[in-house]
Amino acid sequence: MRRTGALALLSALAHSTLAAAESLPRGVGPEFAKFYTSKSTFTCIGNPSIILEPSQVNDDSCDCPDGSDEPGTAACAHIDPLSPEQPLPGSLTGTTNATNALPGFWCSNAGHVGSYIPFLYVNDGVCDYELCCDGSDESAHVGGVQCENRCDAIGKDHRRLEEERRQNKERSAKRRRTLVKEAREQRRRVEAKLGALKAELEGLEHKKADLQKRYEDIERSERNSMVKVKGQGGKLEILVNLAKNRISELRNALDKVLDQRDDLQDRVEQLEEILTKLKDEYNPNFNDEGVKAAVKSWEDYAAGQAGETKSDNLPDEDIMEMLKEDGETFGINWAEFESSDASDVDVVYNWEAYLPRPVNDFIREKINALRIWAMDNGILADNRSGANSESRQLTAAREALEAAKGDILSKTRSLEEQQRDLEKDYGPGDIFRALKGKCISSDVGEYEYELCWIDRTTQKSKKGHGNTNMGNFVRIDKDMADEEERADGKSLGKGERMVLRYENGQGCWNGPNRRTDVWLACAETDELWRVSESEKCVYRMEVGTPAACEDLQEPGPSVKDEL
Amino acid sequence: MHVPGPLSSKWTAYLGLLSALSAAFAPAVAVKEHDFKKCHQSGFCSRNRAFADHALASSSWQSPYNIAPESGSFRDGQYKGVILKTINDNGETVRLPITISFLESGTARVTVDEEKRQKGEIELRHGSKARKERYNEAERWVIVGGTTLDKAAKVDYEDKSQLTVKYGPSAKFEATIKFFPFSIDFKRDGSSQIKLNDQGLLNIEHWRPKVEKPAPEKKEGESDEENKTEETKEEPKAENESTWWDETFGGNTDTKPRGPESVALDISFVGYEHVYGIPSHASPLSLKQTRGGDGNYQEPYRLYNADVFEYILDSPMTLYGSIPFMQAHRKDSAVGVFWLNAAETWVDITKGKDYKNPLSLGTKSKTSTHTHWISESGLLDVFVFLGPTPKDLTAKYGELTGTTAMPQEFSLGYHQCRWNYVSDDDVKDVDRKMDKFKMPYDVIWLDIEYTDEKKYFTWDKHSFTDPIGMGKQLDSHGRKLVTIIDPHIKNVDNYPVVAELKSKDLAVKNKDGNIFEGWCWPGSSHWIDAFSPAAREWWASLFKYDAFKGTMENTWIWNDMNEPSVFNGPETTMPKDNLHAGNWEHRDVHNLNGMTFQNATYHALTSRKPGELRRPFVLTRAFFAGSQRVGAMWTGDNQAAWDHLAASIPMVLSQGIAGFPFAGADVGGFFGNPEKELLTRWYQAGAFYPFFRGHAHIDARRREPYLVGEPYTTIIAAALRLRYSLLPSWYTAFRHAHIDGTPIVKPMFYTHPSEEAGFAVDDQFFVGNTGLLAKPVTEKDKTTVDVWIPDAEVYYDYFTYYIIPTAKGKNVTLDAPMEKVPLLMRGGHVFARRDVPRRSSALMKWDDYTLVVAVGRDGRKAEGDLYVDDGDSYQYQSGQYIHRRFIFDGAAKSLSSVDAEGREPGSVAEGEWLKRMRGVGVDRIVLVGVPESWVGKKSVKVESEGNVWEAKMEVTPAAEGRAAFAVVRKVGVRIGADWRVVF
Repeated sequence: MRRTGALALLSALAHSTLAAAESLPRGVGPEFAKFYTSKSTFTCIGNPSIILEPSQVNDDSCDCPDGSDEPGTAACAHIDPLSPEQPLPGSLTGTTNATNALPGFWCSNAGHVGSYIPFLYVNDGVCDYELCCDGSDESAHVGGVQCENRCDAIGKDHRRLEEERRQNKERSAKRRRTLVKEAREQRRRVEAKLGALKAELEGLEHKKADLQKRYEDIERSERNSMVKVKGQGGKLEILVNLAKNRISELRNALDKVLDQRDDLQDRVEQLEEILTKLKDEYNPNFNDEGVKAAVKSWEDYAAGQAGETKSDNLPDEDIMEMLKEDGETFGINWAEFESSDASDVDVVYNWEAYLPRPVNDFIREKINALRIWAMDNGILADNRSGANSESRQLTAAREALEAAKGDILSKTRSLEEQQRDLEKDYGPGDIFRALKGKCISSDVGEYEYELCWIDRTTQKSKKGHGNTNMGNFVRIDKDMADEEERADGKSLGKGERMVLRYENGQGCWNGPNRRTDVWLACAETDELWRVSESEKCVYRMEVGTPAACEDLQEPGPSVKDEL
Repeated sequence: MHVPGPLSSKWTAYLGLLSALSAAFAPAVAVKEHDFKKCHQSGFCSRNRAFADHALASSSWQSPYNIAPESGSFRDGQYKGVILKTINDNGETVRLPITISFLESGTARVTVDEEKRQKGEIELRHGSKARKERYNEAERWVIVGGTTLDKAAKVDYEDKSQLTVKYGPSAKFEATIKFFPFSIDFKRDGSSQIKLNDQGLLNIEHWRPKVEKPAPEKKEGESDEENKTEETKEEPKAENESTWWDETFGGNTDTKPRGPESVALDISFVGYEHVYGIPSHASPLSLKQTRGGDGNYQEPYRLYNADVFEYILDSPMTLYGSIPFMQAHRKDSAVGVFWLNAAETWVDITKGKDYKNPLSLGTKSKTSTHTHWISESGLLDVFVFLGPTPKDLTAKYGELTGTTAMPQEFSLGYHQCRWNYVSDDDVKDVDRKMDKFKMPYDVIWLDIEYTDEKKYFTWDKHSFTDPIGMGKQLDSHGRKLVTIIDPHIKNVDNYPVVAELKSKDLAVKNKDGNIFEGWCWPGSSHWIDAFSPAAREWWASLFKYDAFKGTMENTWIWNDMNEPSVFNGPETTMPKDNLHAGNWEHRDVHNLNGMTFQNATYHALTSRKPGELRRPFVLTRAFFAGSQRVGAMWTGDNQAAWDHLAASIPMVLSQGIAGFPFAGADVGGFFGNPEKELLTRWYQAGAFYPFFRGHAHIDARRREPYLVGEPYTTIIAAALRLRYSLLPSWYTAFRHAHIDGTPIVKPMFYTHPSEEAGFAVDDQFFVGNTGLLAKPVTEKDKTTVDVWIPDAEVYYDYFTYYIIPTAKGKNVTLDAPMEKVPLLMRGGHVFARRDVPRRSSALMKWDDYTLVVAVGRDGRKAEGDLYVDDGDSYQYQSGQYIHRRFIFDGAAKSLSSVDAEGREPGSVAEGEWLKRMRGVGVDRIVLVGVPESWVGKKSVKVESEGNVWEAKMEVTPAAEGRAAFAVVRKVGVRIGADWRVVF
C-alpha cells in the first residue's frame, strides 16, 4: 500500500514539474523557475534594474548583461570568461568577460536524467543526445535539423547500463574484498615471518655467543698444542691439497668467465643488430650530430671487425676439456698423491726426542709461551689461520661460529627487508600486496606490453629486438581521469583514479628515461586495456583491476585496519 | 681612437676579421648551412657572379648581346627578333630568338630562347635521353590567363638602333628596346621604372660541344682539389670551365649532359629603394642587399625548393618553396617582375645611388635597386609589371598565375596537428578535450605514423583500427580529418600502390631512364612523376573512397616532402639529371615539382565520388608560382623559439604579396618545447595567420592548448575564439584574394603606399578590408608593443573601444599584457562577426551576425563588406552567395546594406543554401565612436523588404578615454536583404 502511494506521489510530482515546465521559458532549470514566472515583465537576474518585456526572453538577442534573458538560446553565449573581451555595461566586470547567471541550457530529459548543457551547444544544428536526449537544444531547427526525443530509448539504455555497472561494481567489489583478504593474509604472513625471524635471531645470537666461547676455548688450548700438533700429512700433502683446491677454484672461475663471455657475446650481437638497424633506418635528414657520429663510429667499427681475422681464440672444445672434473682417467689423479704418507714435516720436530724429558718439557713450555706472547703482540707471524695447520676440532668450531654469524647477517637482512616491505605503500588497504609479483600483459602490434605490479613495466618486441624497461615502480598517486565511458566498460571514466608511477626506465635516444603512468580503473579482473605512447618515451597504461574498486562497505563487522 | 701605424692597423683588421668569423660560425648558426650550396659551390651561380664582377668592374664593359635589327618585326602587340650573342674574338655569334609580348593587362613579357636547341641541333653527352630544347613548358603549369596580346600597342618610334612601343592602359606604358647592345627600358608616364640588361649582365650560356683538353700535368703532392682551384684562379681571363660538364656536391655528382646552359639577366628598378617578394626566405619583408657590406647578406637569395630542416633565420638561403615574383616600391609607385623559370635560381640584390644619369646632376639623387637573376637552365622568360599600385601588381600577377582558390570554409578555422596522434582513440580523446575546454577547432591532423609502416593509403592496423568511427565522431561536430600523403612511395613487396607505380611506369626516372630509387621516410622509395598526365590519373584513382579505405567526406589531404625531399639525394633532393615525363630533366622543373604533386592531389580530391563537387583542401610544403590555385602552404619546420615566432610574420606577409596568401607557420614551433608564454603568444599571433595550425615534432612534449594550464589555457581559448568570431571577415578577405589576388593580411606598404616610413615595417598588418590592425607580441616578457600608425585616422582598441592617442607616421605604445593581443580598429570600417563561441566553424553556419562599425574620424563614413557562401561547393560560381556592402553615413546617420556587386534582389534563383540563409540575420550592430549627441537615444528605425520597425539601442557615453559606443539589439534584418538603419 505504502509503495503504491509513493509511486502515485512520484508521478504526481513528475506531472506537476511537467506542467510547470510547460509554462516556463525554454531552457530554464528547476532552480531558476522562480525568476521566470511573471507574465508581465522579466527582470534580469543579476541586474534587477533592467526590466524587459516578456517577449524579450528567448528572442535570440542578448539583453541582460548576465545573459539571463536567453535561457533557451545561444544569444548570450559570448558572455563568458573565455571569450574575447568586449565592453558590456552592466555586467559584473563591465565586459563580456563575465559569468552568465545561468549554468546553461536546461534539458529536462523526461524519462532520463535532466541536465544543463553549455549555451554554445544550443541551436548549432547538432543534436547533442548525450547531454540532451529530448532534443530540446535544437528548437530553432537551424540548417533544417530536427532532433527527435530519444529519452525513452536513451534512458532505458542508460538504466540498463547503470544496472550492469552496478552489478559489475558489486562483483568487482567482491573480488576486491578477496584481494584485501589476500593482502591481509600476506601481510600477516610477512608479520609472522618477521616475528619468527626476530625469535630466530635471538636464538642465533645466543648460539653465536656459545659458539664464540667454545671457539675461543678450543683455540686457546690449541695454541698450546699448536707447535706439537702437526698438520695432517707432510709438506707434499699440503701442497697437493692446496693445488687441488686452487685448481678447482680456477676451474669454477673459468666456468663463470665462460658463461659471462657467452652472455657478453649475446649482448654484443644484440647491440650490433640494433646498430645495424640504426644505420639502415636512421634518417640522415635529421642531421642529428649525435646520431651521425654514432653511425659513423659504428661503420668504422664494423669495417674494422670485417677486416680483422679472428684472433686465435681458445677453441671452446679445449676449454670444455679443461672444465672436466679430474679423475683417474683424466687430468690429474689427485687420489694418487693424497694417499702418499710421506710426512717429512714431522722430521722438523724430531730433535726434541734427543733432549732429556724435564729439559724438553721446560723448553717446550717456555718456547710455547714465548711464541704465543710473540704472536699475540704481533712479533711473530700467526700461522694458525693456515687451514691445514689447524686441528679439525678448531676448524669445526670456527666454521660453526662463522656459519652462525652468516646466519645472523642474512636473517637480519631479511628482517630488514620484511620490515621495509611492511612500511611500503601498497595502496589503500594494502591492496597491491595481493598483486605483488603478478604480471599482466597485452599485445599491441609488434610489441607485447607487460605490467608487473609494484615492480616494472616492459615492452617486449615480438621481432626479437629484446625487451625494453619502461619504468620501475616508484609510487602510487591520484589524478583526475576524464575518459568517455565505453560500452564494454573498459574505460577509466571520469573522476579521481589511482595512478601507479613507473619511472627511470631505459633511456631514450637523445631523450629522457622512459616512464609509464599506469591508470587504474575498477574492473572484475586484472586486464591491461590499452597502452599508448602519447609523447616520446612517456607511456600510459589503462588497466582494469579490482584493486582499484571502491571500498564498498563489506557486510558484517568491519575489520580493524591492521596498519 | 688614435691613428694606428700600418702594422697595428693590419693587426686590428686581422683581429676584426677573426671576431667576425667566429661570430659567423656560432654553433647554433652553423648546424645546417653547409648541407646546402652557397653560390660559390654552385657552378652556374659562381660563373654568373664572376661575370657580373668582371662586367661591373670594367668601365668599358659592353654586353655581347645585340639584336640584329633586320631580324625584328612588330605585329599585333608582339615584337619578334633575334639576339646575336658574340662568343669569341672572331665575331662568331649564336642566335637567340627573342619575343617581347605586350599584353592587354599592361604586362610585358620578354622571352629569349636558343635557336640550335629549339631545332634540336645539339649533341647530349653520356647518351642522355633528355630533351634538347630549353625547358619551355613552365608556362603550361604556371600561366592560366592574362596573356591576350594588346593589339592596341604600337610602335611609337623606330630607328636602326632602337624601337619604342607604347602600350598598356591609356598607352601610359612604353618600352624602349635598344639593339646594340640589347637592353629594354620600361617607362611609365615617360619615366624609367625597370631596365633589363642595363648593367650588361645578360648571359645565356649557349650549347657547345665538350672539347677534351689534355689533362694538365700533375705536380707531385699537388693533386688535391684546393690546389686546382687556386691554379684556375691564377688565370682570371679564361672562363672557369671547371663546372661546365659535371659538378659534385656532398658526394653526389651531377652529370650535366647538356653542359653549361644558365640564363641570367640584370633587372634594375630605377629610383626604387625597396624590393619585396621572392619567397620563401626567413628574411625581412623588405629584401636585403646580397653583395656584402654592413648588415647585408653575402649570398644571393636562393630559390631551390629544399627540405631545409631546422632552417636558420635572417638568411637568404632557400626554403621549401619559391615564387620568383618581385615587387619594387617607392613612394606612390610600385612595379614588379615575374621571372618564369623553374630551375634553381639565385637573385643578387644591390642598392645604390643612381650614377648613370647625367641629367640628374644637381637634383637629389635617388636610390635604385639592381637585381641579378640567375637560373641554371630553361628559357629566359620575364614578365614586367608597371603598377602603379601594389594592388595593381598583385592583381596583374593573379591574372597570369591564378588566384587563391576559394577555400573550404573550415580551413580558416583552427587546425590541431602533431607528429603524431598515435591512435584513433588518441584523436577522439583530443577531440573531446577541445570541447571540454570549450576551445573551438575544425581539423585534426594525422602525420606519417598513421600509416602501416609509411605506406601511404594504408592505416596502421593496431593503432588505427577504426578510422571510420574516428571520422564519424569528428563529423558529428562538423570537424574534419587531414591525413598526410607524400610523393615517395615505399619500395617494398606486397604493396599494391608501388606495384602499380612500377608496372604502369609512372615514377620519376634516373638519368639512365630507369626508375629512380632513393630514401625517404619509408626507406627505399620511388617517386610519382606528377608531371605525367597518366600518373595524375592514376593518383586520382587512389583517393576514391573505396580505394583509400577509412577515409570519408570529411577527410582531406596534406602533401609534405614534395620539394621533393630525398634523404640521400644531393641537398636532400633529387639528382638534377633525373628525368620526368617528356624526358625533361629534373634540373629544368625542380621548383615546379611540389606544385605538380599538390595539383595531382587537388584534382584527385575532386573525383573521389561521382557527382561530388566540393572544393578540395590540400596543404603543401613545396610550392611555386601558381600553387595558390590548389591549396594552402605553411612555412615548414620551424622551431619553438621566440625568434621563429617573430620571423613567421614577415614570412606570411611575403607570401601574401607574392600571390600565395593562404599561409601560416606552425603554431608553437615544430621542433622543441615552447615555454608556456611562448606557446600562448604564438596562439595569439597564429590567430592572425591566414592558415592557423598548431603542430609539434614527435620528440616534443604534448602541447594541445588545453594542456598548458592556467592562466594560459584561458588566454589561448580566448585567442581561438577571437579567430572564430572574426571568421566571417576572414572568409570575406579570402574572397577578395580569390577575385583579384589581394593579400589576406596586408603589410603597411600595401595599404599605405605613400607612407615611406612604413615600407620596411613587417611586424604588423591589416586583416583584409576590416581595418583591423594587428601587432602580435613576439618577444619574451614583453608587455607593451609599439605600433606604427600609418595615417591620421582614428584607431580604437579592439577589446576596450579606447581611442588610441595616435599620430600619423608615429609609433604608439600599447599595453600588451599576457592576455592581450594588440589589435586596433581603424576608423572608417565596418566588419562582420559571429559572436557565439561554437565548437567549430560548421556549427556557426546558421548563427546571426554582429556588425561592428568603427566610426571614422570626426564621425565620418565607414564602409565594409561581407561575403558568404556555403563554404564547401562550387555553387558560388552560379551566384549562390551573399556579398553585402555596408555603408555607415555619419551625416545621414544611417547604416545601410546593399548588394556589393549591384545584383538586383531576386536576380539569383535561390538554391537550398540561400533559402536556408533566409533564416540568418543581423542580431546586433555595435557602433564604436558614435557622437556624444547619441547618448540617451533608445531606439533606431529599421527599414527592410518593405517593412519599417524600431529596434532597441543602448548608447554608452565616452569615459576615461573610451569612445562612446552604441549597441543596437535584435536588429531583425536578414543578412541577405537590403536594409537601412536610421539612428
